[in-house]
Amino acid sequence: MRQKKVREFLTFALFVFPTVIFVLFATDIPFVMNLYYSVFDWNGVGRSMEFVGFENFVKIFTQDSLFWDAVKFTLKFAVFFVVIVNIVSLTVALVMAKEKKSSSIGRAFYYIPYIISLTAISLIWKFIFGPGFEALYEITGWEMFNWSWVGTPKLAFYVVVIMAVWQNLGFYMVNYIAGIVAVPKELTEAAKIDGAGRLQTLGHITLPLIMPSVSICTLTSLTFAFKLFDIVMVFTKGGPANSTVSVAYNIYMEAFTRNNYGLATAKSLIFVIFCLIVTAIQLKVTKSREVEQ
Amino acid sequence: MRRMKEVNILVIVVFVCSIFWLMPLVLIFINSFKPYNDMIQEFLALPKRWNMEMYMETWTQFNFPRLIANTLLYTVSTVLAVVLFAPMTAYKLARTKSKLSTFCFIIVIIPMMVPFQSYMISLIKLVANLKLTGTRTGYILVSIGLCMPLAVYMIHGFIKSIPIELEECARIDGAGKLRTYFSIVLPLLKPILTTVVVLDTLAVWNDVITNQLIIGGKAGAINIQNALYMQFSAQTSDWEHALPGIVMSMIPSLIFFVSMQRHIVGGVTSGAVKG
Repeated sequence: MRQKKVREFLTFALFVFPTVIFVLFATDIPFVMNLYYSVFDWNGVGRSMEFVGFENFVKIFTQDSLFWDAVKFTLKFAVFFVVIVNIVSLTVALVMAKEKKSSSIGRAFYYIPYIISLTAISLIWKFIFGPGFEALYEITGWEMFNWSWVGTPKLAFYVVVIMAVWQNLGFYMVNYIAGIVAVPKELTEAAKIDGAGRLQTLGHITLPLIMPSVSICTLTSLTFAFKLFDIVMVFTKGGPANSTVSVAYNIYMEAFTRNNYGLATAKSLIFVIFCLIVTAIQLKVTKSREVEQ
Repeated sequence: MRRMKEVNILVIVVFVCSIFWLMPLVLIFINSFKPYNDMIQEFLALPKRWNMEMYMETWTQFNFPRLIANTLLYTVSTVLAVVLFAPMTAYKLARTKSKLSTFCFIIVIIPMMVPFQSYMISLIKLVANLKLTGTRTGYILVSIGLCMPLAVYMIHGFIKSIPIELEECARIDGAGKLRTYFSIVLPLLKPILTTVVVLDTLAVWNDVITNQLIIGGKAGAINIQNALYMQFSAQTSDWEHALPGIVMSMIPSLIFFVSMQRHIVGGVTSGAVKG
């Protein structure tokens, strides 16, 4: 009897432990390290580590204006990104979902930016906003091509938004199309027979039925916006004049540029709580959708 | 009739926009064959001559064969490890009801809710403490660990929909646990495994952030994306080499996309619920 139990445990270990070790190493252990270091004052390399309790957290809320600038930037980015990406991708999806064969190329065009690397994306836009705009200014003479888009704090914000929307639109479009295709044909046809116009069908049949997709895409894009890091790190590096520092990038800089490792881990915990709230709502919405189905 | 027209206009607008959406890529492609002066003067025109010289120069200057070899090594080893271990784990966790099983499942799933950007800094520290910074091993281990949670989560959900009777039959027929898994369960997982392979291949091939964090600029272990990033992210104006580099780094992704389009689109939708 005991032997059987041991054997069962061994099979379990063989099947499960390799994965658990990989995941522990790459994610869970670093996360626990975060918890631990957040109560120390430490530069990340030296030997001197001073236990400071919750002082790091107090510091964040009272002295760290750069962090709150980053929060402001991230929230502003979130509003722009969520609104633009959802409205545009939903519009595109509504058109694309109706057209059958001919739209697969169109869909692919919208989708391709999502599957190329961030390096390519950032260099492409650096080229467009640099030499590209210079050339377009010579051709058209429009003043907007002569502005320094990447070099002006106000415009750099829109550059980040444009890049994020360009990269991610295809992803949301595909999700919306999946939702639209799932709407039963009978309902839209019945509405048509009852004399509803296209706009009426859209407003009273299609949109209410794809509300689950809308809420999921909104929440997914919201978490994406909160976590904004890659584009900032690869493209703007937070500049010009710290105008595009997102929360995640602020944490990264605190740890490796300003060498306040303890403070950075404390910030990252606040960041996690922030994101967890959104994820919790998202899971709840997803669950309720599963029940409906 | 008039309504028809309006709708058609919207359709046309969306399709025209789709071409505009791809415009940046097209512009990069046509300009990658031009000398710098022509890029500025004839930005929108096709190149006078399809000049491959700059491609050749970039190819040797960046030691592309080595970059491709590195990136392939990372992609293949990560995907192999995920395809080997993730279904085993997902299967066992889905079919075992014990506290240990629940605990392991939570450990594997938690990273999906916690953003990578939050524990990233401690991950770099941990990798450095283990003396793995700048090594291929370190990077591969991290990238396997980062791909695992979503893979296990997706496969776990899929296994729950497979009837357990199949496995019971196999057991009655005398198949051992390993045998049951490899000859009964694994073949049934093919659709979801395709999705996992597609997602992880793209993720590892296109990765620049993790490579940058773990490898830094170390020439021997750098991948394509990171090498281009290191070279051109600073204030550079060497577009004659940058553009061919971008185009060459994108070609494998694009070929992969065209051949796997159906799986990519389907896979991304099913993985959409990650945090």
